[in-house]
Amino acid sequence: MRPILLQGHTRSLTQIKYNREGDLLFSAAKDHVVNVWFSHNGERLGTYNGHVGAVWTVDVNSASKLLLSGSADNTAKLWDVRTGKCLHTWEFHTAVKRVAFSEDDTMALAVTEQQMGYQGAVAILKIDSVLEAGEQDEPFVISPEPTKAMVAAWGYLNKYIIIGHKDGMISQYDWKTGEKLTSKHPHSDVITDLQMSPDRTYFATSSKDKSAQLFESNTLNPLKKYVTDCPLNSASITPIQDFIIVGGGQDAMQVTTTSMRQGKFECRFWHKILEEEVGRVKGHFGPINTIAVHPDGKSFSSGGEDGYIRVHHFDEDYFKFTYPEFQHIGA
Amino acid sequence: MPVEITGAPKSSWADEVGEELDPPYEAVTDENGVKTVIEYIVNDDGKKVKVTRKIKKTLITERVNKAAAERKKWAKFGEEQGKKPGPDLSTTSVGEQIFLKLSSTGKSVETVEDIEITKKKLLGKKILCRICKGDHFTTKCPYKDTLPPLDELHIQESKEPSTAEPVQVEAQGSGKYVPPSLRGDRKPTGDSPYKERRDDATIRVTNLSEDTTESDIHELFRHFGSISRVYLARDHQTNMCKGFAFVSFQNRDDAGKALASLNGYGYDNLILRVEWAKSSSSSSS
Repeated sequence: MRPILLQGHTRSLTQIKYNREGDLLFSAAKDHVVNVWFSHNGERLGTYNGHVGAVWTVDVNSASKLLLSGSADNTAKLWDVRTGKCLHTWEFHTAVKRVAFSEDDTMALAVTEQQMGYQGAVAILKIDSVLEAGEQDEPFVISPEPTKAMVAAWGYLNKYIIIGHKDGMISQYDWKTGEKLTSKHPHSDVITDLQMSPDRTYFATSSKDKSAQLFESNTLNPLKKYVTDCPLNSASITPIQDFIIVGGGQDAMQVTTTSMRQGKFECRFWHKILEEEVGRVKGHFGPINTIAVHPDGKSFSSGGEDGYIRVHHFDEDYFKFTYPEFQHIGA
Repeated sequence: MPVEITGAPKSSWADEVGEELDPPYEAVTDENGVKTVIEYIVNDDGKKVKVTRKIKKTLITERVNKAAAERKKWAKFGEEQGKKPGPDLSTTSVGEQIFLKLSSTGKSVETVEDIEITKKKLLGKKILCRICKGDHFTTKCPYKDTLPPLDELHIQESKEPSTAEPVQVEAQGSGKYVPPSLRGDRKPTGDSPYKERRDDATIRVTNLSEDTTESDIHELFRHFGSISRVYLARDHQTNMCKGFAFVSFQNRDDAGKALASLNGYGYDNLILRVEWAKSSSSSSS
């Protein structure tokens, strides 16, 4: 396959996200601007200008009308996807590290950083009331314990939110009361990414402890574990084939001290069920910060510390691949 | 590539008339559907240049979601405002061809029984890994990928015990084999860019006719198993086949099958010759 290289950002990527149909790809980077691309040919549709700090996170609602972004300028912004106009700005005390729309798009969560004496928190933003009334009262805030939240996502039917912590813990919170429902401590280092399966019944986490794991949403029971040899920044679940794509590499600050080979800047494909590595995709010059899979499973993209987004459309034989042991089932 | 064909920017009226007589462009379509367009244009310096472009058009029909189709008509905004439709070369480019080779690493293939059987076979013999000196096969060594591939050749040979030199499984004794590169105090050397290239499932096809294409090769060999790579040697000038090609399969058995059945096969009124690619193990063919 020939990857499409997107060079719209001047600094490293922080998060990329497909919309529900997968025709648009949103990318956030440290260069303050959110970009949107057509995923089939890599054409840039537009940019969302307005942040004055590194943009850490981006999410789009299911109708692809509204875009939410969180930035190091201590704000989260709501954008009109089509025109690039900023509709609303929420101000926080600290940087916004992760945003996510709820399943029905009426709410969103915003994970804020622990900085300058302020506690890290998860704020629940009411999208609907903002669009109708404009201003609104203070968002409801959950304070994750014992360590700060790094990533978070909504459970199915907005039942709860799942938070990935700095010390490798994952926990389930009731977003109405702010109570902790359950928690587990499966990772030994920072959780860097948390991506839900399409039906939100399970999710994948990646961690700096060099492993990615799969959990059941309701119970947080571990399902699978994928152990690699480098710190991971992102893990994504693929439809069609039962794979998990993980990516990472050594820390950005150590990149200059080693060669590209040793850096392990590859997207690795792991078999979701057999917990076995099946392939790798090379290309980035730096650690991979974020991976997203097209909802139809026919392509995936990765964003790296090198400032590039690489959009890969799978070749024919990717879809034909079956395990030798499974061939009799498929035939 | 622009080729300058006239030097002086201004010349006599006769030349100008001559220029006008030049066809604005020539278009030739060859049998592969590749259209060659030759244009003569005057560049910024006033020099006339010849521009040759080769275009191949393929029609691909794709079904898209209605909402997505609607979004394709959206006007560009932000920094892209006012720009014409289509990918902009300053932000979008196409990268080098890369391959995603999917294969089972074989961790789960080996059942307990298999291990038992191999253990019985090797009863009385000591298994020694040449990389880490542990008691497993070199091919199973956990450090296989991290240590240098200097003895990759031997690893491949060890997969075919019939032909390989008996270095892999040897009675433990004083004559323990150490690769020359690791003898004495020499440390493993650094990475080689070729370390991942595995040629053990690669075959060389020779005596191909001039107008063979990659897809022909694919067509011919794909019945034997999944192909990971096809390299067809082409003439630099004419872009015609030079008469030989390399075909890499995902696994060696498939390559063996292809070799056995296609060597001596009549193709395009020529007799194909198929053999193992030299770089891996010429002795095994």
